[in-house]
Amino acid sequence: MIPLLPTFRLSRPATLPEAFDLLADDGIAYVGGTELVAAMQLGLVSPAHLVDLKRIPALGGIRLEGEVLVIGSAVRHVEVADSELVRRSAPILARACAELGNARVRATGTVGGNLCFADPRSDVATALFALGARVRLRSADGERVLPIDEFVLGAMDVDLDEGELLDSVLVPVTVAPQVYLRHQPTEYPTIAVALVSDPEGLRVTVGAVGEIPQRFAAPSLDELDVEAILPELEVIEDLNGSESYKRHLVGVFVRRAAAELKESNDA
Amino acid sequence: MPEETYDETVVSTTVNGRRIKKRVENRLTLAEFLREKEGLRGTKVSCESQVCGACTVLVDDRPVSSCTVLAVEADEAEVTTIEGLETEAGLDPVQAAFADCTALQCGYCTPGFIMSTKALLATNPSPTREEIEHELEGNLCRCTGYLPIIEAVEQAAARLAGTYDPDAAHRPYAGHLKEDGEPFRYVGRSIERVDAGVKVTGRARYAIDTPFPDTTHAVAVRSDRAHATILGIDVKVALDVPGVVAVVTAEDLDGLYPRFGHMVPDHAIIAAGKVRYYGEPVALVVAETRHIARDAARLVEVRYEDLPAAMDAEAALAPAAPVIHEDAYSGEAVNQVAITRTEDEPNVANTMHLGWGDVDAAFAEADLVVETETFHPALYAYAMEPYNSSARFADGYLEVTSTAQHPFMVIKDLARVFDLPHSKVRVSVPYIGGGYGSKSYTKIEPLTAVAAWVTQRAVKLDLSIEESIYTTRADAARTRVRSAFRKDGRLLARDVDIVMDTGAYVDNSATVLSKAVARCFGPYSIPSLRVRGRLVYTNTVPASSYRALGAFQVNLAAETNMDQAAEQLGIDAADLRRINLVPRGERFIEGKRPMDTDLVDDFDQMMARVRVEPREGVLQAVGFGVGANEGGAYPTSTAQVKMSPDGSALVLSGSTEMGQGSRSILTQIAAEELGLDIAKVRVFQSDSAGTSFERTTGGSRTTTMTGLSVQRACRDIVQQLLAMAATVWECPVDDVRHVGDRIVHADGRSEEFGPLIKKWYGGGGGEITGRGTVRREGELQVQPSFWEIGMVAVAVDIDPETGVTKVDQLVTMADVGFAINPMGVEGQDVGAALQGIGGGLSEELVYEGAQLRNPNLVEYRVPHIGDAPRRWDSVIVERRDGTGPYGAKGGGEGARIPMGGAIASAVARATGVWPTELPLTPERVWRLIQEGEAARAEAAGGSAPEAD
Ligand SMILES: Cc1cc2nc3c(=O)[nH]c(=O)nc-3n(C[C@H](O)[C@H](O)[C@H](O)COP(=O)(O)OP(=O)(O)OC[C@H]3O[C@@H](n4cnc5c(N)ncnc54)[C@H](O)[C@@H]3O)c2cc1C
Ligand code: FES
Ligand code: FES
Repeated sequence: MIPLLPTFRLSRPATLPEAFDLLADDGIAYVGGTELVAAMQLGLVSPAHLVDLKRIPALGGIRLEGEVLVIGSAVRHVEVADSELVRRSAPILARACAELGNARVRATGTVGGNLCFADPRSDVATALFALGARVRLRSADGERVLPIDEFVLGAMDVDLDEGELLDSVLVPVTVAPQVYLRHQPTEYPTIAVALVSDPEGLRVTVGAVGEIPQRFAAPSLDELDVEAILPELEVIEDLNGSESYKRHLVGVFVRRAAAELKESNDA
Repeated sequence: MPEETYDETVVSTTVNGRRIKKRVENRLTLAEFLREKEGLRGTKVSCESQVCGACTVLVDDRPVSSCTVLAVEADEAEVTTIEGLETEAGLDPVQAAFADCTALQCGYCTPGFIMSTKALLATNPSPTREEIEHELEGNLCRCTGYLPIIEAVEQAAARLAGTYDPDAAHRPYAGHLKEDGEPFRYVGRSIERVDAGVKVTGRARYAIDTPFPDTTHAVAVRSDRAHATILGIDVKVALDVPGVVAVVTAEDLDGLYPRFGHMVPDHAIIAAGKVRYYGEPVALVVAETRHIARDAARLVEVRYEDLPAAMDAEAALAPAAPVIHEDAYSGEAVNQVAITRTEDEPNVANTMHLGWGDVDAAFAEADLVVETETFHPALYAYAMEPYNSSARFADGYLEVTSTAQHPFMVIKDLARVFDLPHSKVRVSVPYIGGGYGSKSYTKIEPLTAVAAWVTQRAVKLDLSIEESIYTTRADAARTRVRSAFRKDGRLLARDVDIVMDTGAYVDNSATVLSKAVARCFGPYSIPSLRVRGRLVYTNTVPASSYRALGAFQVNLAAETNMDQAAEQLGIDAADLRRINLVPRGERFIEGKRPMDTDLVDDFDQMMARVRVEPREGVLQAVGFGVGANEGGAYPTSTAQVKMSPDGSALVLSGSTEMGQGSRSILTQIAAEELGLDIAKVRVFQSDSAGTSFERTTGGSRTTTMTGLSVQRACRDIVQQLLAMAATVWECPVDDVRHVGDRIVHADGRSEEFGPLIKKWYGGGGGEITGRGTVRREGELQVQPSFWEIGMVAVAVDIDPETGVTKVDQLVTMADVGFAINPMGVEGQDVGAALQGIGGGLSEELVYEGAQLRNPNLVEYRVPHIGDAPRRWDSVIVERRDGTGPYGAKGGGEGARIPMGGAIASAVARATGVWPTELPLTPERVWRLIQEGEAARAEAAGGSAPEAD
């Protein structure tokens, strides 16, 4: 009931190899702390050793590598939101990061922390699912690259091995028209909807209602059948709404997003 | 120094331009570091969950939640706190704008808001309202209703851009004249709050900021059951923790009176024998630091045997319900309401009846009978400063500092616990970070004091927000109203039944119930009335006062009932009010003050402002409601004014400043009465050892009752000065007069107060003291001292697809007789209204099993800045017809009374279905829309898809 922290060790490595050594010493990754410190204050976790990743340059920065936008895991939400590069090549990710949480969370929390914590209501995850992003994971043994949906597995559940870190997220650059809408009458979004329309068709991603973002496809915007999506959704009930209400809301916001997309296409 | 040890880190940082290099514990948050290690207590902590923004500071110009960010993050960075903004040139433009726009009341949120605004304007120098709302969404203010804050941000932007025009600022002023035809100099004017300066700079000190020297810290071990027998408490392991001073349990209270409660002394200081709700203190760990106390508290083992629990009033009233209090506590109570307990309803703490006329006959004759039943849920007042208190025994007397609204009432409880004379209990209250009634009467002071008694050390007990929620809430109420009407709309009778859930202890809920019983039929003329109210114990958080106590819970049923009747009678709902509102002078309750204002005129002025701004694709409707509250509480007040030989005045008042602006108002009154420059007046409040007695600070009474006692104390000073002048000048007293800041002789000689006092005493001069008392006599013989009128109207927009409801326009109506500070009146109104909007649309404490599902600010949704109405019209009616100074009446609660009902009626008009409970969350409204559509389709002979 009283959010005071237990004692812990803190290390602040400057390189990845150092970080891996420290993680092996009972360490856990720590970046903005907006989730980790909060969870420690609530007594939900009490790690003995926090390894701060903020001083590792390799985990920072936003850059283009060919046709791929690479966002370091320690990049903060504000940096994503303000980045011209992201706004141009992955607009809904910029928008998600500009809108989520509050000004302090955006200025402190990171993309990596958001994804690794894997809150079901994560806007970052929703946007990255919609964009078909991949994640690069690194450990002392090397690296692996996974599609985002093989990384985020469930509520608070990601495919991260012991001693492994999320290095960066890899977002294919696209000019596909896209829209991001969130519905948030309370502290976290009740629903987030992302639509991406590329030559292969329309991808509908629904976040915040289930344990992980859920994807649906339609041949094109005009052939989108919202009613067909709704029964397929997994929906978690909470104080923001019952299952049937949230299912209804998804229909509303998918339709609204589709209308917005159509408008931008026509414009 | 080694850079890294296991639990500390060397931090070299710059805080407000000052270089600091220190070894810092890793576990310290930045807020703890700034407040406790660096003494920068301007940064405030409230929600401790990154939601409220009270703790906002800048780290390298980025806003962060210092409640969660670790202190080590200051390393190699620049930290700016509220204390770092002021320069030699004066206030920062953002600080100046907040002070100027009265964008603060209690001031607890202010440092955080100012820091967030700094961050916002640094990146966006001319934000739109939408951008302001978006960037400040993470800063909560419970007092101001946000609109003055939005204005302040806009003004700050203008100041920075050099386009600020002070003459264009909003300064309501009615231009009242004194008896001599001259305008008042200070009262009736929208002057800047006298506490604005300390509050925008972070210098204001709250109880949380003022521990006694060398204090210990206490943390409570709390029950994790709703209702259980305590079999044993094992404190040994906790006691052995280094740094633990004591673990206090009920056993340690031998020789003390172990309970408190000003109405029924039913409240165990520490649970004894059994626990009655989840969250009840079972033991208190006292240690050298709060961290040690918290860690040790987890090691205290309590063994329980569960008892069946009654989690709501219905369960507690059921025939075989578990009995929550076996004792009737016939001990000494400091109450005004006679408490009744009966054998056949053992969980009913009190039953009250009110009525007159032949109700059954009236119903038999009625053309129309309308019945309405509503449920008003339990609420959390969320004063941003959590409950906290400090206590110590020194030289045989007890000293307590706390967040209490009524320090003099707390003294009575404490004196009884320790069997001390009142003179040996000192309770002092610095600035309070919001109260709204939730800090009235005794809360955690006895717990802190017994720990000080057991340990013979100073003890500080700071509750978290979660613990505060588990300390006091507002009563839930189920209300059934039946009304009998003649077809012309006249009310013939009302029959009301109220069941109020007071939780585990009564606290002030007997008053809450008595208010509910007297307020449930509205300020209407009713020939026949029958009201029964029952106050029911349950195994939930004890309930007590919250702004417009009792009234707002039952107004929901009473006013939606009027609106439903209007529909059925085919009479306009506004006209139905006009037909039935009590006319001036009518004694509508036997023995009480006749209606002291023109309700229909007030109502018309308000309704004239309501305007729906048409918008595509939304459901729109208007709702309004009226209420009247007994204002002023019991009319007892005392004040002293001391005048020094330099002619300055010190006003001593036992009332508290919790944001409502009492310090400013009392300063204005004293400066006006004495004719002194306002800079020479200081008001010192709420320290029982230094100020004079004040009954309570609540019931919207300070302006009227305390205002009167201060006015009388000032007049006493003037009389003394006149007599002194006559002595000094050796003339009859009739030859001298008080003009401005001096005493004037008929022959033209004059003397300022200071020199006069010096001459009269001789030597270096002395000091004179004026006394003012208010008691129940004369104009105040009939009670209440005034009727506090509550009227609001809203125009709402509803998204038909989501049910999201937004108050588009708010119209407040303040019938305050004379607005001593019109900006202050407006601030109180919009603040009260926004709390009402929260209650109407989003706030509700939800139990799941033994415990609350939402005991935090993440899930208990108070209004954020984006929930403030888009438009606000404020009507201030000043007929100078009140019993307070200059004809003033109190304000501050009125707008809270009818808000829930007004919103419910607007939603009903938009959806076609009458809601029966609050809050009207998006899902509830959406379901009403579905129900309405289904009903209309059925009426039209078709069938509509059903909501499930
Ligand atoms: C009040 C509030 C409101 C919020 N609202 C929203 C919202 O509306 N939408 C939304 O999407 N999010 C929201 N969030 C979540 C926010 O985005 C995350 O808290 C933030 O991004 C986490 O980043 P961090 O750097 O602070 O993570 P930390 O707290 O430092 O870490 C979080 C977890 O991730 C692990 N971790 C971090 N980085 C790595 C890495 N590189 N490799 C491996 N493991 C790692 C940590 O060990 C820890 O378990 C909200 C948070 C708060 C507090
Ligand atoms: S955000 Fe830090 S105390 Fe509320
Ligand atoms: S002034 Fe904002 S909370 Fe009191």
